[in-house]
Amino acid sequence: MNKMPNSLQLLSGNHAVSWAARLCKPDVAPLYPITPQTPILEKITEFHAAGAMKTELLTPESEHSAMSACISASLTGARVFTATSSQGLLLMHELLHYAVGARTAIVMFNVNRTPASPWGFWPDQLDSLAQRDTGWIQLYSETPQESLDTVIQSFVLSEKLNLPCMINHDAFYVSHSVEPVDVPDQGLVDGFLPPFAPEHMLDTNVGSSFGAPIDQATWNRSRKEMAAANDLVCDEITKIGREWGALTGRSYEPLEKYRCDDAEVVVVTMGSMCGTAREAIDDLRNQGIQAGLLKVRLFRPLPKQALQDALRGIPCAIVLDRNYSPGTGGILHQELKSVMYGQENAPKIHGLLAGVGGLNVSAENIRDWVKKYQKAKVEPESQWVE
Amino acid sequence: MREILILGRGGQGAQTAGNLLARAFFEQGQYVQTFATYGGARRGTPVVSSLRADDKPIRVRSNIELASGLLCFDDSLLDANFLRSANKDSIIVVNTSKPHAAFAGLGDFRIVPVDGKAIARRNDMGKVVNSALLGAFVAMLKQPDFEIMCDVIKETAPAKKSENVASCKDAYDATLKNFGGV
Repeated sequence: MNKMPNSLQLLSGNHAVSWAARLCKPDVAPLYPITPQTPILEKITEFHAAGAMKTELLTPESEHSAMSACISASLTGARVFTATSSQGLLLMHELLHYAVGARTAIVMFNVNRTPASPWGFWPDQLDSLAQRDTGWIQLYSETPQESLDTVIQSFVLSEKLNLPCMINHDAFYVSHSVEPVDVPDQGLVDGFLPPFAPEHMLDTNVGSSFGAPIDQATWNRSRKEMAAANDLVCDEITKIGREWGALTGRSYEPLEKYRCDDAEVVVVTMGSMCGTAREAIDDLRNQGIQAGLLKVRLFRPLPKQALQDALRGIPCAIVLDRNYSPGTGGILHQELKSVMYGQENAPKIHGLLAGVGGLNVSAENIRDWVKKYQKAKVEPESQWVE
Repeated sequence: MREILILGRGGQGAQTAGNLLARAFFEQGQYVQTFATYGGARRGTPVVSSLRADDKPIRVRSNIELASGLLCFDDSLLDANFLRSANKDSIIVVNTSKPHAAFAGLGDFRIVPVDGKAIARRNDMGKVVNSALLGAFVAMLKQPDFEIMCDVIKETAPAKKSENVASCKDAYDATLKNFGGV
């Protein structure tokens, strides 16, 4: 009676992430619960209790300790997965820098949630965007399916480049959204994700040290090496996303252009709002407005060249930021202005603070904003629209 | 696209009801999206479960602003604020021991009172009302297929499978009898 393909399961975004973790067979997973991430941890512990995951699960007393355990485990050559959200991610902050400096290959899932104070559980991307200078690769997911697929791709990426990767999806609209998800076969994932074999690792039989005190020049060199690794991310993730597409029919790029050819106005955003924007774009096209969507999937490192190529020649870009950086405005807005600075045929760039604190953003809202701001004078500051 | 809202208090089963209803639509071949939002993350505070079902993949990720079906687990939550998501054509099933007339003051709405607690009790389900409420809700929505709904309940109930299904059927029959023409 069910016309749906058999491989589809009804899963929440968070449980899709747990499935991805299970398929990637991490050696170690230090985890600490926090709303709205907790279902990821719960499902992983269920898998573990049932014998379906052989991972060593650690449940330390805080997220700070969880990230410390991730770093140590990764440096022994173990495949490492963890998950957190909001306050938990912020508590890890010190160690997020450490994890990159030590060139670990940790894959972490973060559920985007408003940071306190005041206390809230609502979708807002400030928690992860506030980590943008730590050097973690950052990807933003629109759907439970994309979250599952991206975790698997991130292990390939992180373990190849020795850069930790943080994948993000919005609280509730993705984390708790139950929908049909294709869970790939274990054999497919085993073939796609090679074993983790770092060149250097902690080994009691080898006399070497990680994170020892160094001179200025060595610290400086560590950053240049990090920059060189960052330069490889965009091409590498493109390649990995296409390889995944060849296996599953679901291909991924650092940026996705939806109806951008011939567009006069392009909405630029990240995460769950992209889905709503697609509806708005189709409606606008039906009304004769040549609108498109530019979805930013890879936020760190920022795919500068790809963004410039995508936006060059388009008259108007409207950035929707579900975050607010006090004193600055919308973070994606700031990044886009910087990327397009000095470019010929750059669009006028409007920045809208839309959905900050988890406020609802409907397709109708987006349609109205596009119509209004396409004709409006550009302000340098991001605008509150709700 | 069909849009449904379920409102309850944390611990009452609104989120579970949303998931079971979504599974029934999925089993009959529809794309679904259901998510619960809660402000308090503790028992007793309001929980809203949103459900969309459609013949094509669902892309929109925003709140439901106008639902064609609303299920309310607790009559103390059925107020003007919740009814902002309804219009005069929406079907609103509410768990209550009060008569239909008690809700007349709320305005021109199709409110269907169902005594979920009484139905649950007489089917040996104690205070667990979600199977009964789903039965009543499906009777009024005429969707998803009732046999599929019962199969989903039977398959997913952690305990008292036959009592859960009996409670669902009892509420379905009683609601059709009392309000089938509403």
